Amino acid sequence: MNVRIEEIDGNVVAFLAGILDTAAAPETEKAMSPLNDVEGKDIIIDCTDLEYISSAGLRIFLGILQNAEDKGGHVYIKGINDEVRGVFTITGFSNIFEFK
Amino acid sequence: MKRPLAYIRRKLSVRVSLWVVFFAAIIFNVALGFLFYQSREAVRQEAVSRATQILDKTSLRVEGILNRVEVASNMTKWLVQRHPNKADSMFVYSRGLLLNNPDFYNCSIAFEPYYFKDRGRYFSAYTKHVGDSIRTIQGGSDNYQYFFADWYLMPQLLEKPCWTEPYMDLDVATNTSEMVTSYCQIITNQQDQLIGVINISLSLNWLSQTISAVKPYPNSYSIMIGRGGTYFVHPDTMKITRQTIFTQTLEQPDTALTALGYAMQHGEEGMKHMNIGGKDSYVFYKPLGQTGCSMAIVCPESDIFSGFDRLRRTVMTIVAIGLLLMLYLFIRIITSELKPLQRLADEAETIASGQFDAVLPDFQRIDEIGQLSHSFGNMQQSLVKYIEELKKTTAQKASIESDLRIASEIQMGMLPEKFPTRADHDDVQLFASLTPAKEVGGDLFDFYFRDEKLFFCIGDVSGKGVPASLFMAVTRSTFRTVSAHESMPDRIVTTMNKTIADMNKTFMFVTLFVGVLDLPTGRLRYCNAGHDAPLLVGAGVGELPCDSNIPVGFKPKWKFSLQETQIFTGTTIFLFTDGLPEAMDANKTLFQMERVNDVANRALAKQQQEPHQLISLMTEAVHQFVGDAEQSDDLTMMAIQYIKQQSDVQMRKSIVLSNDTQEVPQLNAFVDEVCQTVGFDQSVTMQIKVAIEEAVVNVMKYAYPSGHRGDVTIEAASNDIRLKFTIIDSGKPFDPTVQSEVDTSLSAKERKIGGLGIHIMRQNMDSINYERMDNLNVLTLRKKIKH
Repeated sequence: MNVRIEEIDGNVVAFLAGILDTAAAPETEKAMSPLNDVEGKDIIIDCTDLEYISSAGLRIFLGILQNAEDKGGHVYIKGINDEVRGVFTITGFSNIFEFK
Repeated sequence: MKRPLAYIRRKLSVRVSLWVVFFAAIIFNVALGFLFYQSREAVRQEAVSRATQILDKTSLRVEGILNRVEVASNMTKWLVQRHPNKADSMFVYSRGLLLNNPDFYNCSIAFEPYYFKDRGRYFSAYTKHVGDSIRTIQGGSDNYQYFFADWYLMPQLLEKPCWTEPYMDLDVATNTSEMVTSYCQIITNQQDQLIGVINISLSLNWLSQTISAVKPYPNSYSIMIGRGGTYFVHPDTMKITRQTIFTQTLEQPDTALTALGYAMQHGEEGMKHMNIGGKDSYVFYKPLGQTGCSMAIVCPESDIFSGFDRLRRTVMTIVAIGLLLMLYLFIRIITSELKPLQRLADEAETIASGQFDAVLPDFQRIDEIGQLSHSFGNMQQSLVKYIEELKKTTAQKASIESDLRIASEIQMGMLPEKFPTRADHDDVQLFASLTPAKEVGGDLFDFYFRDEKLFFCIGDVSGKGVPASLFMAVTRSTFRTVSAHESMPDRIVTTMNKTIADMNKTFMFVTLFVGVLDLPTGRLRYCNAGHDAPLLVGAGVGELPCDSNIPVGFKPKWKFSLQETQIFTGTTIFLFTDGLPEAMDANKTLFQMERVNDVANRALAKQQQEPHQLISLMTEAVHQFVGDAEQSDDLTMMAIQYIKQQSDVQMRKSIVLSNDTQEVPQLNAFVDEVCQTVGFDQSVTMQIKVAIEEAVVNVMKYAYPSGHRGDVTIEAASNDIRLKFTIIDSGKPFDPTVQSEVDTSLSAKERKIGGLGIHIMRQNMDSINYERMDNLNVLTLRKKIKH
């Protein structure tokens, strides 16, 4: 699992690549923790290279979203593939995230 | 005959009139009968005295005539004896005699042969009426030698004057003959020697007319008989001199007539009542002086009483007409008096037809009918009032009934309507029926599938009707609520009992059987709370052993026990409420468990233990037993047949992981491999991978106490139809399937972190099932293989 965070066009973009399973979750959560400090900027999570996600991964996403919303920010998800979108859909996460 | 009777029964006026006339008729009859009897006696007395008088009078007349004949004879004898030698004088005497007695038929003074020498052998001065004149001739000739006639010989033989028997007197000159009787007296000279005989004849015809001249009654007649009983006078002239009073009795013995004949012959006087010539008659008889004759007057009874009978007929006719008239008038009067009643009846009919405001006639009468009319008016007013109240009550009742019907519909709606069959499920089929005794009942059954488990229950609430149905609804919804998060029947029932007992203010209770059938394994877990033990119909028919727990609703703290058994493929679990064994026929005989077992055995013998077959057989048997009797209790039956067939396993793989989440990639690789083997595409493989990861991670995190190492075994097996993952661990009992569902519609803020795992498992897999077996947690997840 690989996480890279960059600031592009005034937005904070997190690039996720690989498999986000339970085993990878603690590490990923740690890697994504800077996103919790973002203020006044939108967060974009780029999932183009995300191959797999389980509920452990979704919990990280939900944590980031709740934190951002508390601060009045937005979290966008970008480039998600069909399989991962399926997990979002059955859990209702597709309703609470904004997709780009 | 029926119609007049029906009419009389319907018509009071006719009936009363008939009674009155009936009694009047009886009184009239008795009175008139007595009167008629008395009158008849009087008429009879009158007839007797009248006939006797006439008889006396007639006999006096006849005796007078006879006396006259004798006197005339004596006078003539005296004259002849004074002048015995003057033959011509004899003609004068003879003629004179007839002149003085015009009613005599003839007379002759006949002498011995050659008494007058100059007159020859025969001399008889014979005088006879011819028309109005009197003819006197010399009688006697060689052709008529009178010396040998009866009348000439008899007085000589008897030595006294006598009356001859009637004989035919032939008048040669006019060649006429007449029936006569003669008085004969001999004439003697001074030496007392016979010189001749005086003969005075009376015409029998004339005598008869004389006697018969006076008739007491139109059809009465007189008879006269001589010494020998010969008829001298009789209306039938053919009988005169030819027959005696006894002649008839020779042919037809008639003691009465014979007695009359003897009485008359013996010169008796009297009256007899007898039948003569076919008619009841009174006969009055009396001897006629010294002649030896007797006369009688025959009066037919019909004659005597003809006037009386006519009177009686007239009176009876008048009475009959009077009674009929009376009947008619009575009917008319009573009908007119009762007319108001008819009108009241009509009005009552109108009111009965629903027109309560019909105006009653005002009769202005103070008699009973007036009172009735008044009372009727009051009744009508009350009726209007009561009907109004009744309408209100009925409307209320209809509303309640409608509510009840809706309640019943709601209640029935609560029960599952769609039953799983072989077509829907390859492992179980189920059928149930509930027949409430009243509109709404207290029985319940329910079932539903959760994961690969069939949850079912059957129950019977104490009592019937609305309260029971409400309690039933509570029980059923409690069952659903509790069993949604609990798979163990004992805990389901214990929780239900606590919930229900806490809010049970009415001290109702429910007997309940809750079962959970694990479909993959056929494991049945159950808890019985005071309910009838179900039957198992499979290899044989037997009762499912049940602990004696108390019904639900009594003691909130009661701990209900769990039981379990293995259900083999083909076996049917038959559940029922006490309405089945306690179904009653018209004689209050119970259906009883014996019969239930019999039917089940019969079904088994006929290979008809499939749920709907078994229930329809049972229903049929109960209907036949109960017959027309009213259903005494709710009747509920539920049959569950386990039909799972084991399929051939085509693929089997397994992996054992430790309880470390870092092992997850290994797991995912295993799942990837399995899915590839089975041939799932990328998208399904993803779904399965996520689901299995969630399940295994759950075990890894929660099965063992933190810091303890434990293994998780994941087995994958597939047949033609499904891919099955079995996750086994030896940790503490933990059923992930009873965790509450996450609400996926909540906003980001409201959503909880957690609970997603079980949701993903359910969503991504076709079925999920937890079993605790041999101290192991066994979680099974299945996915259908699409072809």
